[in-house]
Amino acid sequence: MSHLDEMTGLLYLEGELDVNREREVSTHRSVCAPCRRMLQALERESIWLRESLAAQEEAIPQRLARVPGRSTTAPWAWIAALGMGAGGAYTLWSGLVEPWLAQASEAGFTQGNLLTMLLFSGAFWKGWGRMQTLTQFLSAATLGVFLLWLAGRRWRRFSVAGAVLTAGLGFSMLTLPSSASAAEVVHGDPNYTLPAGDEVKTDLIVAAQHARIDGDVDGDLIVWSRSITVNGRVKGDILALGQELRVNGQVDGNVRAFAQSFTLNGSVVKNVMTWAHEFDMDEKARVGGTMTLGSANVQLDGHLNGDLLAFVEDLDINGSLSHDATIRAQRLRFGPNATVAGHTQYRGGRQPEKAPDAQLGSPIEILAGHRPMPSYASPRLYWHQILAWGASFLFGVVLLLVAPAFFADTENASKRFGPAIGLGVLFLFAIPVAAVLACFTIVGLGVGITTLLSYIVALYSAQVFIGAWLGEKLMGPGIGTGAIIGRLAIGLAILRLLRLIPFAGHLISLLVVIWGLGALVLAIERRMRPQWAPAV
Amino acid sequence: MDERKATGAMNDAELNEVISHVRAGDPDAWGELYRRYAPAIFRFCRRALPTREDAEDATTEIFMKTRQKLGTFDSSRPFTAWMYKVASNHCWDLLRRRRTRQNLETPDVEELALEHPDPSQLERLQAERSSEELRAALAKLPDRARMALVLRYYADMSYDEVADTLGVRRAFVGVLLLRARHQLREVLRGTSVEAESAGGNS
Repeated sequence: MSHLDEMTGLLYLEGELDVNREREVSTHRSVCAPCRRMLQALERESIWLRESLAAQEEAIPQRLARVPGRSTTAPWAWIAALGMGAGGAYTLWSGLVEPWLAQASEAGFTQGNLLTMLLFSGAFWKGWGRMQTLTQFLSAATLGVFLLWLAGRRWRRFSVAGAVLTAGLGFSMLTLPSSASAAEVVHGDPNYTLPAGDEVKTDLIVAAQHARIDGDVDGDLIVWSRSITVNGRVKGDILALGQELRVNGQVDGNVRAFAQSFTLNGSVVKNVMTWAHEFDMDEKARVGGTMTLGSANVQLDGHLNGDLLAFVEDLDINGSLSHDATIRAQRLRFGPNATVAGHTQYRGGRQPEKAPDAQLGSPIEILAGHRPMPSYASPRLYWHQILAWGASFLFGVVLLLVAPAFFADTENASKRFGPAIGLGVLFLFAIPVAAVLACFTIVGLGVGITTLLSYIVALYSAQVFIGAWLGEKLMGPGIGTGAIIGRLAIGLAILRLLRLIPFAGHLISLLVVIWGLGALVLAIERRMRPQWAPAV
Repeated sequence: MDERKATGAMNDAELNEVISHVRAGDPDAWGELYRRYAPAIFRFCRRALPTREDAEDATTEIFMKTRQKLGTFDSSRPFTAWMYKVASNHCWDLLRRRRTRQNLETPDVEELALEHPDPSQLERLQAERSSEELRAALAKLPDRARMALVLRYYADMSYDEVADTLGVRRAFVGVLLLRARHQLREVLRGTSVEAESAGGNS
């Protein structure tokens, strides 16, 4: 018999050979010194492996050493907590979202639902037009979440792929234009002109160096261009991104503009919303709805039929306003021709200047420059805190039940304080910048808006993960969903209390947002990481 | 096999009683069970998974699974073995989900050298390398190799159990183990060479 190979030797030592082969090997072992030595070496290696693996008993970490949490929450506490959560959600809706929607509706976002409003009155996503009500959207969102959950449970190994697929399907569904959304898309070479007398029967989407619209557009006008001049009539909305925008014609819908300078000489039947460094409204200009401004220098000489909401540095009003004005500015001046029929509310750096001939419906209400301190004696403050806690708790519970593994990953990631804070700071600023930049391209607009919406959700959810971490830190790790929920409730309550501390409360809120956002990024990164390096 | 790594002194009758209490929803019994098994399961995870953080997370998750699956446990069989089975399945699932590039390599029986090893080299390696170095080398192995060694030489699993956990044929377990030993020796030799060159350079 020749020498034993190593495989046979190992199987012999492990007792895995059949009886006959084992007998052969035993016989050979007794007569062959090299094989005997090889078997001894292998055997010693086995012992060495066992001893080394059994040695160095590492102390169990503190978080695992403690007795696991037991859910001792009484049923009534659950009912109360969930009731509070529902109350909080209702309060958030009725106290914040609904009035905001009402204001937005007043400002001309009259398409009927929140997302349609956010997506610029359906100027881009005609698909939203089908979703006439918020209920429909919520149903679709719930279905999406359910599919994600199902993907996570049924096809756990493919959960990421499932999530991407579902998100992709959802996104495609949302971005697919309906048959009614036909649009004429033109690219300037390098300029584009719609001649006077010509009429575009659909929406018109223009990307050109210089765009000039002398003709009529039956639908919306969406335009990216260095300079944009609209002399014709636009029966829909105008959404314009450019360096210089001039609207001399008539717009039957709304105007929403992002521009370096925006001059309005014509008339807008509905509303104007603009982010422009310079905004100049000529005395001939007319706006039938409201005006929302975010600008550096603004000159209002025309007529505004609705409310004015302005966040500006320098504001000169020398035209007429038929309703109220809410202004936040460094400087405010009412010229001699200024007329404000309604109420004027002003918060700013300097005292407003008013020409003697200016006519204001009521004295200017000047608000203090800083927000007042919360009234600690008011029970209302605490009631609101309880409701806000309930809302965040409810949100956290839903998050935990829908994506428990991701919830645990993010909570664990929050323990890496340094990296979480670093990434949190980075992404806090980087995401909105990237999203806004994406919005400047026609392809990236949907992505940009989706990113912004996700960003808002991420900022809100940050407190949930930090709350869960805090709860675990205080009460020790818990086993089971009930224990995690209990810790979450306590952690969120403590965070809410910390926020009530004068001055420091704001800093704590910011820290929580940054920290939680960073943890979220770490958790997502960990899930997407293609490979990991073993620790040395 | 049944007396796996330190799970605390508790005879079968006591253990079965604790388990039946846990099944009935007694939180104290669950605490007792956790106290008995958490250290052993954590140590197992610490060896099966490359980082301490992963081991901590996995331990928590294994106990969550244990609680959910306790109803399916056949009390006529050893609980410790069942617990290790849950733990090893969880760790292996975790590693597979991460799909390291290392694991994409296909262990091939034909590739395995069946030569007569040099016993003196093997002995020298054992003499020169400490347990700490072996543990560190273990962490550098591909997941499947590390899992095979840990299941067999730490968790004392039989070839059948190793095959079942890793999803391979029973006949392949020996090959896996031998291959893992080879890889471990390679890593240890590499460490040795590095140490020598570092010593020579200084």
